[in-house]
Amino acid sequence: MPGPYLELTADEFLDRLAAPEPGPGGSAVAALTLAYAAGLVTMVARRSRASWDGAAGAAAQAQALRRRAAQLVDPSADVWAEALAALESKSPELEGKLRRSAELPLQIAEVGADVARLAALVAERGDGTYRSDAASAAVLAEAAARVAEKLVAVNLTTGRTDELRERARASAETARAAAAKALASGP
Amino acid sequence: MAVNATDAQLVRLCRAGDERAWNELVERFSRYVYAIATQGFQMREHDAEDVFQEVFARVYDRLDTLRDDSAIRPWIAQLTRRICLDRLAASSKEDPVDEVVVTDGEVVFAELDEAFSVHEALAELTEPCRDVLDRFFARDESYRTIGEELDLPAGTIASRISRCLGKLRELLEGRKVDE
Repeated sequence: MPGPYLELTADEFLDRLAAPEPGPGGSAVAALTLAYAAGLVTMVARRSRASWDGAAGAAAQAQALRRRAAQLVDPSADVWAEALAALESKSPELEGKLRRSAELPLQIAEVGADVARLAALVAERGDGTYRSDAASAAVLAEAAARVAEKLVAVNLTTGRTDELRERARASAETARAAAAKALASGP
Repeated sequence: MAVNATDAQLVRLCRAGDERAWNELVERFSRYVYAIATQGFQMREHDAEDVFQEVFARVYDRLDTLRDDSAIRPWIAQLTRRICLDRLAASSKEDPVDEVVVTDGEVVFAELDEAFSVHEALAELTEPCRDVLDRFFARDESYRTIGEELDLPAGTIASRISRCLGKLRELLEGRKVDE
């Protein structure tokens, strides 16, 4: 079973990622990327308090989103490993397990949309000196949401067009639009 | 009236013998007293209930001795801590094997005080503000879900939450000035 990735040093995590044994994959990396992005948004919001009334509120929201993203770093790998085992053993529970393994990347996609939206707001209203950090966070959040959209689609290939897939697509699209807005908000 | 009254107004109503005000006073501070006993002094449930009864009996008897009506909360906190310490001392005499466990007092009491202040300030916010903060911070709802549930554009939720947090902060800062 994969260990608690957030307790590893960055170097140990990279080693686990590169190892051929079961461990962190795209889902865990996407969730971790989101947590980093939310951290960047918090930093920019905190540094914007002198010039923006809503900065403290934005920082509090970014911290809440960071916590949500961090919670998704480990379990996503667990569920995917279960689905993989069911696929190899042609288990009758395969569809249920695949669906469950699609729900976690869906949560990542939805948190990704929120981080990107908040990053765009902070890029627009925050201190100009740190605007590029907020825009970077929005782009990272978009990437995480798109990765998650792909993972949802992969996990649902046995079924027909699914509500989960549509929700993931909509979240990735929201994140894309927010990132474009953040990038356009200035230097 | 009692429900919306400030602490000082509530104390005045209690002194005047308003029964509804007494009920509100117990309702308003019951969680606080209970939290001091269970979290600050690690008391078991039935001991915390005894403390609760004793605290409010003393409040009832001695309310006239309170000099500053707006200081009801620190006064209740002090009463509760004293009663908890008395009970723990008494039980350690009866059963010396049991170790008296008091957690890192000042930190826990400061956190309880802060949590209680936030809880009170939240109650003073408008219903839409309270709702949106509860959905985002307590229920972990996404901006999209909040927007759909409240029939608001999802793109405006983050700003709305920031404004509501700003109001909450003003209320909390107002309390610190009053205290």
